[in-house]
Amino acid sequence: MTSAQIFGARAAPWLACLGLLVIWQIAALLLKNDSFPTALAAIRAIPLILGDKEALINILASQRRMTIGFAVAIVVSIPLGLMMGRSRAVASFFNPLLMVIYPVPKAALMPIIMLWLGVGDLSKTLVIFLGVSLPVIYHSFEGARSVEEKMLWSGAAMGLSAAERMVRIVLPAALPEILTGCRTGLVLALITMVTSEMIARQSGAGNILFNALDMGEYDLVFAMIIIIGAMGICLDAMFEALRRRLVKWSEPQFDMPLSFS
Amino acid sequence: MTARAQDLLLGMVPLALIIALWQALVSFGYAPTTLLPPPGLVFQRLARQLVTSTFEQDVAATLFRLFAGFLIAVVLGITIGIAAAASPLINSAVRPVVRVLAPLPKVALYPALLLLLGFGHESKITLVAADALFPILLSTYYGASTVEQKLVWSALAAGTTPREVLFKVVLPAAAPSILTGCRIGLVISCIVVFLAEMITSTDGLGHVLVTAARTFQTVDMFVPLITISLLGLVLNGALGALRSYLLRGFPDV
Repeated sequence: MTSAQIFGARAAPWLACLGLLVIWQIAALLLKNDSFPTALAAIRAIPLILGDKEALINILASQRRMTIGFAVAIVVSIPLGLMMGRSRAVASFFNPLLMVIYPVPKAALMPIIMLWLGVGDLSKTLVIFLGVSLPVIYHSFEGARSVEEKMLWSGAAMGLSAAERMVRIVLPAALPEILTGCRTGLVLALITMVTSEMIARQSGAGNILFNALDMGEYDLVFAMIIIIGAMGICLDAMFEALRRRLVKWSEPQFDMPLSFS
Repeated sequence: MTARAQDLLLGMVPLALIIALWQALVSFGYAPTTLLPPPGLVFQRLARQLVTSTFEQDVAATLFRLFAGFLIAVVLGITIGIAAAASPLINSAVRPVVRVLAPLPKVALYPALLLLLGFGHESKITLVAADALFPILLSTYYGASTVEQKLVWSALAAGTTPREVLFKVVLPAAAPSILTGCRIGLVISCIVVFLAEMITSTDGLGHVLVTAARTFQTVDMFVPLITISLLGLVLNGALGALRSYLLRGFPDV
């Protein structure tokens, strides 16, 4: 790749952002709808939210819940997925359960969980945990299943115990797939966070969004959408950078996210 | 007993365990019935609700939004995906936009859609379509761009027009990947339609749940959740059957 091409690849997402904002601006100017502010007006409203101390604390609290939920989900789901991938019995034990849970919107469990655990951090974190774990389990499962059998045999022949084989052969071999799952999970964590706050309507980023909608402060609504969107894009880009570093050895992958289940 | 039946039986164990634990929590008094109604009561209510016309209307509203959004996503996703794989020009335009839009949490757009499209079907359908679009688009693109180039070349050399190459070579070769994307998109549609209805709606399964939650009718809160789970299972099964019909003759799908 020439340096011009590298520059082009780096600049393209920024250009795309800019392009989308310009389209928005033009559409808003054409529609002249009171409830659809221009992109510039929305961007001007961003400092209003980020400058407000209470809103900032709310957003940071949301992020903390998201991080905890995501971390716990990863710690639990990766070993489970790997075990499912290596053992047929474990897989057939958990598969139907996961299939039943899959189409249930995790944020929709919010009202029920709130009844049991209250409206506090615990229930919101639990919902995020549930949302993240399924894709991570699924991708770890797929990754562990496609590990080459011969490597495991040679590991066993060289005297590795089952646990050692899991950590030293299966885990690294499945890592690219696992990280794809984590990337999906990260975006899902953000989605679940926002949705659960939209439903519980007590604090957090989702609540700010709908409060602004109820008050008719449309600039703030759209500013908050930009903030949440930027969070998603930044988190994804950061994770992608980390992923590249960790699995540099694997085949050059697709640079677009493959699954967003 | 065949291995398959054994697997199925093993899979029923955790489901049975959960229902048993649920029942035990209620019958030994660890959870008050107002917070956790016994499973028998919930399934009874589900069976009774399924034949009432109001509940059926709610299910129908949900299904309509789900399918409308999903179909829009399928058509757009496959078209854009194939176009991006076929033409470098379109690719260079689509790729950065997708990179920016795919990780964007689409639910955050919902308030904007409400303001622009109103509180009716349109805003919910758009949200479902926006959310289901990306997995379908990405897997179509992936499937179409990994089609063996030699196949396309030999078809062209044999005198097939580019249009026919699309329908006779590229689409069939990309079909497994496209269908995987559709499956993910379908599950997402189920989830999103429910959430959208929970946030603001006057009908649909999500609205049933919210109404029940506001009036603390715990039994009625479980019913829509179980219904959406069953719907997801049925739709997933239907798509799986369609897949094995469409992909008959493909090795190992």
